[in-house]
Amino acid sequence: MTTTETTTDTLRRRVQLWFGPQHPGITGNMSVQAWLEGDTLTQGITHVGYLHRGFEKLMERRKFIQSFPIVCRICVPEPDTNEYLLAAGLEELAGMTGDIPERGTWIRTLVLEMSRLQMNLMTLGGHIGSMGLGAAPNWLIAVRDYVLDRFEELTGGRIYHMYIIYGGVRRDLPEGFGERMEETLTKIEEKLPLVDNVIFDSSVFRRRTVGVGVVPEEWVDEMSLSGPIVRAMGLPRDIRKDFPYLIYPELDFEVVTTTGSDIYARAWIRRQEIQQSIDLIRQILARMPEGPYCAKLPNMLTWTIPPGQTYVRAEATRGEMGYYTVTDGSDKVRRIHVRGPSFVHGVALLERMIPGTNIADLSPLMVSLQVCPPEIER
Amino acid sequence: MESKKLPVLPVSAPPEGSVPHAPLGEGCFLGETQRPKAPKLREALATIKNWFRANSLWVMAYGTGCGSIELRPLTTARFDMERFGLAMRPTPRQSNVLIISGYLAVKSLKRVIRAYEQMPSPKWVVGLGSCTINGGMYWDSYNTINQLDLYLPVDTYIAGCMPRPEALLAGFGYLMEKIKKGEANGWHHYLENLDWYKENQKKVITAWDLPDYNW
Amino acid sequence: MKTIVDDIRTRFIVEWEHQQREDLRQIGVRPGTVVPLLGWLKLHSPFVQLTHMSAVDWIEEGELQLTYLLTDPVGMRSLMVCTRIDREEATMESVHALWPQAVTYEQEINEMFGICFPGSPRQGVPFILEGWDDMPPMRRDFDTVEHVHAHHPSRPGREHTDPRAYIGRVFGERGFLHDDD
Repeated sequence: MTTTETTTDTLRRRVQLWFGPQHPGITGNMSVQAWLEGDTLTQGITHVGYLHRGFEKLMERRKFIQSFPIVCRICVPEPDTNEYLLAAGLEELAGMTGDIPERGTWIRTLVLEMSRLQMNLMTLGGHIGSMGLGAAPNWLIAVRDYVLDRFEELTGGRIYHMYIIYGGVRRDLPEGFGERMEETLTKIEEKLPLVDNVIFDSSVFRRRTVGVGVVPEEWVDEMSLSGPIVRAMGLPRDIRKDFPYLIYPELDFEVVTTTGSDIYARAWIRRQEIQQSIDLIRQILARMPEGPYCAKLPNMLTWTIPPGQTYVRAEATRGEMGYYTVTDGSDKVRRIHVRGPSFVHGVALLERMIPGTNIADLSPLMVSLQVCPPEIER
Repeated sequence: MESKKLPVLPVSAPPEGSVPHAPLGEGCFLGETQRPKAPKLREALATIKNWFRANSLWVMAYGTGCGSIELRPLTTARFDMERFGLAMRPTPRQSNVLIISGYLAVKSLKRVIRAYEQMPSPKWVVGLGSCTINGGMYWDSYNTINQLDLYLPVDTYIAGCMPRPEALLAGFGYLMEKIKKGEANGWHHYLENLDWYKENQKKVITAWDLPDYNW
Repeated sequence: MKTIVDDIRTRFIVEWEHQQREDLRQIGVRPGTVVPLLGWLKLHSPFVQLTHMSAVDWIEEGELQLTYLLTDPVGMRSLMVCTRIDREEATMESVHALWPQAVTYEQEINEMFGICFPGSPRQGVPFILEGWDDMPPMRRDFDTVEHVHAHHPSRPGREHTDPRAYIGRVFGERGFLHDDD
């Protein structure tokens, strides 16, 4: 009798385990300090700070135009949302929102959708890669590279673009960009059914994800969740529809929703949003108006913005991205605080979801919440 | 940065009564005792060894910074790093190339040092991006180091912010050439100048709670 | 939006208000009012989500500003509640009982600005920095360049150019954007 008890006690002993920062299953350079009982996690604490560069401090030392190379590095896989939000916040405070030419707005939307497309391709690969299945991620990352080629053609950079500036964008669309973009989209669309086969029809993926990592609906308002996590519950919340910005009100698209609120549902949302982005890019390119792409700007070396504060938001693939911008009348910002969706999803929500999760499901769970550490600590 | 003749490893003093083992420096990394006496044979063996080493670089999959996003496309069919014998490994114990993919925050540096010391020799460090060379665009950031080779022995730098996958492949090619020539000896340098490296590391990492060397 | 602020005015003292955008209203209140106001808003108004929480250092006035951004997810609008506290004895009531994710915001603000939120669970626990022994880095009087020179040696030979001089040399004195017409 005693022996049995001892054995049970030994088995039920709490083991502390550091998941990351050096771990192939973690989403970036961060770590989760987890406690295990058997192979069930009982508690987890997110540790960040491995990527802290003090961007908000650096931006207080830079002129407005010098902040663009900084903000795009806040989220490495999806930099354009940051560029747009920095520009939108300061344009609003400077009172030049109305000056942006129509074509500039359309090109901005195009860039945001391209960025969402490549990020979703990458995350969908991460979804299945985090379960140790290697083929689909490699296909998806390979087709993502074609989108990066188009980015390179348009902006000059594969990853960091620094393309959106105050008043519009930095340069016009190159000659024949639409046709080459269409080729790229066709290439991606050809690959997608194959990927669907390997992901959504795969019994491994289904059994590992259906019913795992369920986020209850009452947490949405309690923790202000956003993005695919909310849409996977069936709530049609999308900032592109709710707080319309750029030309999204003119475009024809539906908010993708599904039910289940588990990892499978979130992966499915991402898959549908890939298709949605492809459709939106086609719509934008077909309806792209002519005209100037950038407003006439003041001298960037002496540009000052009157005092004020605002909060602008946009829909990143991970959820609501927001910039709290404060100016004080000088030629530098007073304060910029970036509200990344992972700040809530990666710390508060993840820590709340960890108890009861199987250790093997932690990595898929983190991918499905799309935790992006650089935007937590900036 | 003067090299010492005899490498002294800061191993902790053995507990009393235990049998003292041979100094770790011998046969461990400089390996005088293991080298054959005949100089020509020794040379030939070294060439063969270096050729093998250069063609099976195993990279530790630790994305320390933003440059790691360009490492992922390298594994896909388009760039295909495995044709050069480069493979991603999940743990430091199985890998011999450490890529510092960009800026290093002080908190990260501590973990990187730990991971580097856990890697088996021979091992090489590749510094990726301008920020490892001189701070890059983060030169005035209070939380990132400005010069990587003060803290770890860097064999190759790949400049750029961030370097393209082609640049990465070129950088690995350069590292392979260097290894084949027998010039990529950063890990010797690290052990020979361990005191100097440790002093630098302790200066910047104020919360130092690592052992003197992580085996 | 107007009605909700009127409703607030009947219950709390609102020092100033400002309509920044159609869907974004800002109000300023005294520090003691913040937590009762936010609690009332969460229970009795559609502003149920705490989207963001931030701090701004107004060193010239010796004050720190705390900003709470509440969102109405049904009516699609936001309310920004601002308050100013003393810079030297920076203490503020915690709102973590209303919104659990406020713990992270308060932990970060505590570390970056040195504002103390008594009662919040992770006060004083390092969040981003490790082994930090200087003043909180996001305060305006913290000089990051000085800190870099003292702690992070850099490779000699790096040039630092003044942007005005550099752009003037390369693009002409008037700047580099749309200056050709």
